[in-house]
Amino acid sequence: MIKQFFRWTGLVILLFILQTTAVPLIAIFGITPDLLILVLFFIGFKTDVIPAVFAGFFLGLAQDFYSPQILGQTALAKTIAGYFAGLCNEKVMRIDPIFQLVLLLLMFIIHDAVFFAVQMAKTSTPIQAVGLEIISSTLPRALYTLFFALIPAFREYLFPSSGRR
Amino acid sequence: MYWIFNFIVTHRRVFSLLLTSLVSLLLITAPPVKQAAALRFLSMTIFFPLQIVLSQTMKVRNIFAENRRLKQEVIRLSCAVAQLKDESIENRRLRNMLHFTPKFSYDRLPVRVIAYDPSPTQKSIVVSAGKKEHVTMWMPVVDEGGVVGKVVQVMHHISLVQLLKDPSNRTGVLFRRTRAIGILETENGRDFFVRCRNHEPIEIGDTIVTSGLGGIYPRGLTVGTARRIDTIRDPLFKKVMVALTVDFDHLEELFILRMSPQWSAFRAELDSIEFNND
Repeated sequence: MIKQFFRWTGLVILLFILQTTAVPLIAIFGITPDLLILVLFFIGFKTDVIPAVFAGFFLGLAQDFYSPQILGQTALAKTIAGYFAGLCNEKVMRIDPIFQLVLLLLMFIIHDAVFFAVQMAKTSTPIQAVGLEIISSTLPRALYTLFFALIPAFREYLFPSSGRR
Repeated sequence: MYWIFNFIVTHRRVFSLLLTSLVSLLLITAPPVKQAAALRFLSMTIFFPLQIVLSQTMKVRNIFAENRRLKQEVIRLSCAVAQLKDESIENRRLRNMLHFTPKFSYDRLPVRVIAYDPSPTQKSIVVSAGKKEHVTMWMPVVDEGGVVGKVVQVMHHISLVQLLKDPSNRTGVLFRRTRAIGILETENGRDFFVRCRNHEPIEIGDTIVTSGLGGIYPRGLTVGTARRIDTIRDPLFKKVMVALTVDFDHLEELFILRMSPQWSAFRAELDSIEFNND
C-alpha cells in the first residue's frame, strides 16, 4: 500500500515537472497534451475513488499554484474528474482499452466543463466563448493526450499483468 | 456521535469528494488577501519540496539556454578578437610606415600616503617614496580611480605630490568620445570644469581622460566624467562641469608612474629657446 502510494506520488511529481517544463516544447499549434489528467485517470482506474479524488485535488492545487488562474479552479475540476475516474476503476468494471480511451475523453470534457463553469461564474465569460473554447481547445488537447494514453493502455492490452486479474 | 462517524466511513468516497470540493470552492470564493495567504501557506508547506525540485529543473533548463547564449557570445568575441588582431597588425605596420614611435610603457611604483597638506583645501600629499626609489619630479601619480596628481618635490625617501584639486594645477584633458580637448581647472578645489568650444557635442556622462599634450601625464588616464554643462555667455566656449573619479578624501595606496616627462627629450631645444629669448 505504502509502496504503491510512493510509486504514484513519484509518477505524479515526474509528470508534473514534465508538464511544466518539457511538454510546452511538443506543442502543436499551441495545443499541448495534459499528462496530469492522464495520470489522474490511471490513478482512478488502478486504485480507487478516494486516492483519485485527493490526487486530483492536490494536482489541481499545484497547477493553480504555478499558473496565474483562479485559485481552486483547477483543484475543483480535477477533484471531480478524479472522482469520475475512480468510479470506473478496474476493480469495479473490466474495460477494454478502446473504452478506456473513450472514458478518458469523457473525463477531459467533465474536467473542462467544471473548469469553464468556474471561470464563467468568476469572470462573467459568455457561454458562447466557453463552447468555442471546448471545441477549439479541449477536444484537440484530449485527442493529443489520447495518443500518449495509448502507450500504457496497449501495453496492458498486449502484456496483461496476470497477477492482478 | 458514533452513527455520524459510521455514516462518514460508509460513505467515505462521497465525503472525500465533498470535502475536497468544499475546500476548492472556499478557495475560489475567498477574497484575494485570503487567497494570497493560502498561497503563502501552500508554498511553505506541502509544495515546498515540489518547489525545490521544480526550481532545480528550471535551473538545469536555464543552464542549457545560458550555455547556448555563451557559445554564441564566444563566437562573436572570437570574431572580434580576430578582427582586432588584424587591426593591431595593420596599425603596427602603418605606424612603422609613418615612423611613429611606439606607445610608451611605464612601471608603477606602489606608494602609501603618509601625510596630508594641513590646509583646508588639501592641495598636496606626501607619499612614501623618493630619490632612493628613483622617483623624479613631474612623475604622474594615480590610483585605481584615475589621476591623483604629480610629483612636485622629491626627497630621499618621500615625495610631495601636487593634487589635481590644487587650483594652481592645470591638466590637459580629452573627451574620450568626441576627442575634444580642453584644460581641467578648478577655482576652489571642489568644483572642476573644462572649457570647450561651443560646437563640441559634449554630453553628460562623457568620460574625460588625460590628453597627453601637457607632457606630464600619458594620454588616456581617466580623470572624470562630464557632470553638467553650463552655457555661459561666452559665444565661443562652454563650461563643462566635471565629477572626478578619484576620491580625494580617502587616498591611501597610490602608484607613481615612473616615466620622464615627454618633453624631457626636447629639454635641450626648449632650454635653447629660453636662452634665445633671454
